[in-house]
Amino acid sequence: MSINQGTNANLIEEIGPEGIQSQEMLLNMGPQHPSTHGVLRLVLKLEGETVVDCTPVIGYLHRGIEKILENRPVMGGIRYMDNADYLSPLLNEIAYAGAVEQLMGIEAPRRAQYIRLLTGEMQRIASHLVAVGTYLVDLGAFTPVLWTFRDREGILSLFEALGGSRFNVNYLRVGGVLHDFPRGWLKACETYFDQFEKNMVELEGLITGNEIFESRTQGVGYIDPPQAIAYGLTGPMLRASGVNWDLRVNRPYMAYREVPVNVQVRQEGDCYARYKVRVQEIWESIRLCRVAMDKMPGGSIGTRTPIALRPPRGETYFAIESSKGELGVYFISDGSEYPWRAKLRGPSFVNLQILPELLRGHKMSDVVAIIGSLDIVLGEVDR
Amino acid sequence: MYFSIVLGDDIWSQLGGYIFSWQFLQFLVAFVSFFGFVMTSALLLILAERKVMGWMQDRLGPIHTGPQGLLQTVADAVKLLLKEDVHAAKSDKALFIFAPSVFLAPIIAAFAVIPLSPYVGLPGITIATGIVYYVAMSSIDVIGVIMAGWGSNNKYSLMGGLRSAAQMISYELPLVLALVVVVMLTSALAGTAGYPGNAGIGTIAISQIQEFQSVNIWPFKGVPFFDFVFEGFTPWAWFVLVQPLMLVIYYTCGLAETNRAPFDLPEAESELVAGYLTEYSGLRWAIFFLGEYGNMTIVAAITTYLFLGGWSGPGVVYLLGLGSPGWGLLGNLLAVAYFISKVYLLCFVFIWIRSTLPRLRADQLMQFAWLILIPLTLFNILLTGIIFLVINSLGLGSWTSFVFLVVTAIFNWAMLFVFIRIVGRTTLSTTRRAQAPAIRAQPKAITALPAPERTGIAGGQ
Repeated sequence: MSINQGTNANLIEEIGPEGIQSQEMLLNMGPQHPSTHGVLRLVLKLEGETVVDCTPVIGYLHRGIEKILENRPVMGGIRYMDNADYLSPLLNEIAYAGAVEQLMGIEAPRRAQYIRLLTGEMQRIASHLVAVGTYLVDLGAFTPVLWTFRDREGILSLFEALGGSRFNVNYLRVGGVLHDFPRGWLKACETYFDQFEKNMVELEGLITGNEIFESRTQGVGYIDPPQAIAYGLTGPMLRASGVNWDLRVNRPYMAYREVPVNVQVRQEGDCYARYKVRVQEIWESIRLCRVAMDKMPGGSIGTRTPIALRPPRGETYFAIESSKGELGVYFISDGSEYPWRAKLRGPSFVNLQILPELLRGHKMSDVVAIIGSLDIVLGEVDR
Repeated sequence: MYFSIVLGDDIWSQLGGYIFSWQFLQFLVAFVSFFGFVMTSALLLILAERKVMGWMQDRLGPIHTGPQGLLQTVADAVKLLLKEDVHAAKSDKALFIFAPSVFLAPIIAAFAVIPLSPYVGLPGITIATGIVYYVAMSSIDVIGVIMAGWGSNNKYSLMGGLRSAAQMISYELPLVLALVVVVMLTSALAGTAGYPGNAGIGTIAISQIQEFQSVNIWPFKGVPFFDFVFEGFTPWAWFVLVQPLMLVIYYTCGLAETNRAPFDLPEAESELVAGYLTEYSGLRWAIFFLGEYGNMTIVAAITTYLFLGGWSGPGVVYLLGLGSPGWGLLGNLLAVAYFISKVYLLCFVFIWIRSTLPRLRADQLMQFAWLILIPLTLFNILLTGIIFLVINSLGLGSWTSFVFLVVTAIFNWAMLFVFIRIVGRTTLSTTRRAQAPAIRAQPKAITALPAPERTGIAGGQ
């Protein structure tokens, strides 16, 4: 539809017996749009500013990660897992390594498990920080994102000391981790968390009590618990709707069998609850990190695995609680060095499917508020 | 033909006489300095915004261009001047091209009624209807914005333009109503002890409103030092103390008028890409940007004159009163300095607010204007009038104006605190009520499924 071409005569013709009829407008939002969190494309049908219908179009960031995994040796695949959910690479690595370990029937030593817990929770903090910060950018506040990225930077520096790379850490190995900590790393973590807790108080002071923020998010994008379960939502999306489900507790894996997690649940089911759950999870992750640092056992950091890793013939599904929800790896091996199939169950992909349902009836401004609250990563949606 | 023959000589001689007259030279100097002030102030504000926001956001801001990044905006301006002027193929050319000028011209024109100091100002400062002129000028910008939104032939631009139209027109009302109360104050005070004017006749000239904010009472009157400081500078008579709520409301509406955060919906970058600016680039974009910052300056300037005593500051009136040109010049410079620092202080608050608050939604914005601000300002006008009538009928003699000011101030401060306490809750509750249909429209529970039970290796661990 063109805005400009209608003459007055055309406009008048449209006035029927019911009075003035407005025309629906088709708005193509994305793939290049500041607040679709990557290259999500939404075809919105608008009536005025109200969304009548929405069709998400995905696939602009498809890199064939699952296919690449089939063409790499099992150990080599870990590095490609980094790029699936690029905001929480370490958690992806944990899921992949865990799946292979489960198929091979080996278990990482306790120290490696605790290191995985510690780094995984730090990764969760980093991912939630990005989620919270960019969400506020969507709502029009520019300061929080810079604060959260500053804090995330600290975590990335710690990862750099750990694995040599800030972003795609490539730190996990099947049966353990790559290195032990460099000297003084845990102390640096302590210092970082002390500072970070202060920063979090400051950040929450800026956002949480803000009336504009509350009025933008409360009651917007409501999901009730049965609907959340029916759509297969997981992670903060599900817990914000009042469903107490966290794989770290309900299906504990690795060190979570020893370290209890307080699952953060909110009952409201709206965007505010989803924001709040993420902030509470950051606090909970800080606590878990401190527990892991206190209880960090000694010993080796990896089991001995052959250089050419050949998982036995068979299939397995291993899921962890990633920062966005249940991140599962369905791993089929034909006994060779290469996985026969490695399928990812990406939480972002599953959580995205409720979007058209949520947007219907909301205003144009709420579209970005709702997309932001889903916390999708297009790298994982499209893989 | 006849016209030019008869009047030809006269017109040319008049025009020639005018162009080579002292008045014209004075006008030219004043105009150039004003234009310079608007432009420089925009440049400074852009730099200040980037620096201050950088400071608030724990980063450095521009540091590489020039010493401490001071030349960054100059470099930006040069870049924008040299950029290609891109037109969309199917845009409405005339509207697209003229929109920036229509946006900028009234903003610069509005400066005509604002004096910088007792003597520095365009001839427009003598206009007796300064506030009306300002209000008229400030409501013309919206046409430029709509032209830009419509002419771009872009859906985002159109939505931005229409949002902007609704917003600017809605916020024009409480803005004017907030100014009305100040005019009421002047007419209540005029002619009474220590105030200029004839009894009952207020003023809407900006420089005269400022005179109502200086009284003849200050501590240690007669001691030269205190005379020097307080003559013409009496912060206890500023209207901000009498009508603080109106200052807050005027300033809030000013935020909405200038499309600044948290009311920057027309150009909401996260929703509408850049709103009505989406298709603009290069110099035309720069003109819009300039206009926005000019608008910021003018809102701050009007606030300064109406509520914060304008250019008044320690020493100005005293130095002017000495009568010698040298001291007079110094006094004027001091006045300019006071005025500009007050304006920039208010602009700093603009920047502070921008880096703190998220953006409102379009319907919340409208609710805030129509359900909260307009009733409140109307009520305040009524209240001020009633207080005036009651106090006037008490027969307090020369104390009338003082008692009136004090009672009005008490009521207004109380209203300000109540306003601040309840405004958040009111906004929230009206929003919730508005959102209830959307929530109810959500499909009801499909069937209450039990939490999925998993089998297999992952579950068995």
